[in-house]
Amino acid sequence: MTNLISQLKKLETSGVIRTSAQKSSITDLITKAYRIRSRTPQLAAKKVAILPGPLEDLVVNLLAFDGFCEAIYLCPANTTVPPVEGIHLWPLVSEASTDIKSPAISKQTTWYIPTSGTTGKPKWFGHTLEALTANIKHSTNLQKLTWGLLYQPFRFAGLQVLLQALLSTADLVDVTGLEPIKQVELMALHQVTAVSATPSLWRQLLMTQQLDTLPLRHITLGGEIAEQVLLTQLSRLFPKAKLRHIYASTEAGVGFVVADGQAGFPTKWLDNPSSPIELDISEKQHLLVKPKCSVESDAPLLLNSTGFMDTQDRIEIIGDRVFFLGRATGAINVGGNKVYPEKVEQVLLSCDAISQARVYAKKSAMMGELVAADVVLLSDPLIMSSDPLIMSSDLSTIKLQILKECKKQLQRFEIPTKISFVDNVSYNPSGKLNRQSNGKQHD
Amino acid sequence: MNLEQQIKDAMQQVAELSDCQLIEPIEANTLLLECGLDSLGYAMLVAQLEEDLGFDPFTELAIETYPSTFAEFLAIYQQCKSNQ
Repeated sequence: MTNLISQLKKLETSGVIRTSAQKSSITDLITKAYRIRSRTPQLAAKKVAILPGPLEDLVVNLLAFDGFCEAIYLCPANTTVPPVEGIHLWPLVSEASTDIKSPAISKQTTWYIPTSGTTGKPKWFGHTLEALTANIKHSTNLQKLTWGLLYQPFRFAGLQVLLQALLSTADLVDVTGLEPIKQVELMALHQVTAVSATPSLWRQLLMTQQLDTLPLRHITLGGEIAEQVLLTQLSRLFPKAKLRHIYASTEAGVGFVVADGQAGFPTKWLDNPSSPIELDISEKQHLLVKPKCSVESDAPLLLNSTGFMDTQDRIEIIGDRVFFLGRATGAINVGGNKVYPEKVEQVLLSCDAISQARVYAKKSAMMGELVAADVVLLSDPLIMSSDPLIMSSDLSTIKLQILKECKKQLQRFEIPTKISFVDNVSYNPSGKLNRQSNGKQHD
Repeated sequence: MNLEQQIKDAMQQVAELSDCQLIEPIEANTLLLECGLDSLGYAMLVAQLEEDLGFDPFTELAIETYPSTFAEFLAIYQQCKSNQ
C-alpha cells in the first residue's frame, strides 16, 4: 500500500491543523517530514518510538517514518517505551552518525499502538496503514468538514480521527488537554463540524450547555457503550447531523458502525456470513467476531473452531436489537478508561486492614461506570493491636486511610468511589470472585 | 446539616482525593465545570452523595439534561430528596 506521505501528496487539496496556539498546513508538514528523512538516514528500516509531543510534530513524524522505518511505536504520555531490541527513541536523544549513503528504506511500516493491559503494563498491537485506514471514507462533503480532536492522537481512537482528517483533506482542530468550556469555545471559533468522542466526553461537552454553538454535522461515539438517552439527546440537539456509534475490538482489528441513532445493533447482523464483519453470539452470551489477519500481537488470538474470537463483551438480544451489557472479564469502563478489578484488588489487599477485596463496576450516569469495592476487614486481634488503622473503630477513618493508599498507587479513575465493608465476598462455584453482584453490606 | 452544605462538603472531599483546588466561593450561578472539578470529579461527587444521602437523582429521575450551574445541581438533589 502507498505510504501516508505519498497518499497525501497525491491529494489535490490539503487541510490545516489548528491548536489553541498555531495553525499549520499539511503541505508545510510534508516538507518538514522530508527534511527529517534526509537528515536521519540512520533510521531507515529501523524501529522508532515516537515520544509524546505536540500534534504537528506527531503528524510530521508519522509522515516521515511511514514507508521509511520498519516499525513505528506510538508512546502516549505515562506509557513506558516497549522493550524492543534496537528501538530508537524519537526525538533522538543524541545525534548519531549520518554518513549513511542511500539507505534501504522499509516499504511497509508496522504501526504499534498500546492498549492498557491487566497488569497495568501496556500491550502493543501492530497494524498496517491499510488496516488503520480501512474505514476512512472520501467524499467532497467530507473534505468540507472540520474535525475536533478530543482523543489523544497517540492512541487508537485519536489516530483514527487524525487519519480521517488527513486523508479526507479536512481541517483538524486539536482541543486535547483543554478544559471542556475552552474545548467548546475553540471548536466554536473554528466552526468544528465533526466530533468523535466517548459517551463520557459527550456528556461533559453537554454539561457546558454551549455545545449547540457548534455547527455539528458528524457526531461519533465510541470507546464505551452508547446509551439511548445520550443518543436521543444528541439527535435532538443536532437533528440534521449524522449520528453514529462505533464498536471496535483492537485485539481483533475489526469494528463496525451503527448509524440508525439507536443503541445496540440490529440482531440480523449476527450470524450473517455475507456481512463484511462476521459476528456471532456465544453460549455465554458474549459477542464473537471473526478477526482480520492484519493485526500483529505478542499474544496469539484465541479462536474457536469456526475462526471466531470471543470479544468478552456481554450482549443481550431483545427482539430485533442486540444490546451491550459490559465486559465479561469484569473490566470496568470509566469514561473510556479501562480499569482491571484485579489491579485495584491488589492495592486494596496491600492495606494492612483488609483481608479480602472484591472490585466491580457501579453504574454512573456521567461516566458510564465507576469503580466500587467490597472489603472484608481483618479481625485478627494481633494485627488489630499492632495496626493503627484498625485501632480506630471508626469505619470512615479506615475508609479514608484506604483511599489514601489507593491514591498513592492508582490512577484517579481507578480509585473506588464506593467502599463497602462486608462480612465476606462472594465466590462463584469455580472459586473465582463473583463480580456480578454485591455482597452483604454493613456500614 | 442542610443539603447545600452537604453537597459542598462532599465536593471538598472529592477535590482532596482528586488533588483539585475548588474555587471560592461557590455561588448559585457558578458554572460546575469551573468549580475546579472535572466530569470524573462530578461522577465521584454523585457517588459520594449517594453514600451520604442514600440516593442518586441522576439514576432515579433519569435526568437527561445535565446541570450547568451549582444552583441547577442543588435543585436536582432538592427535587429528588422531596420525592423520597
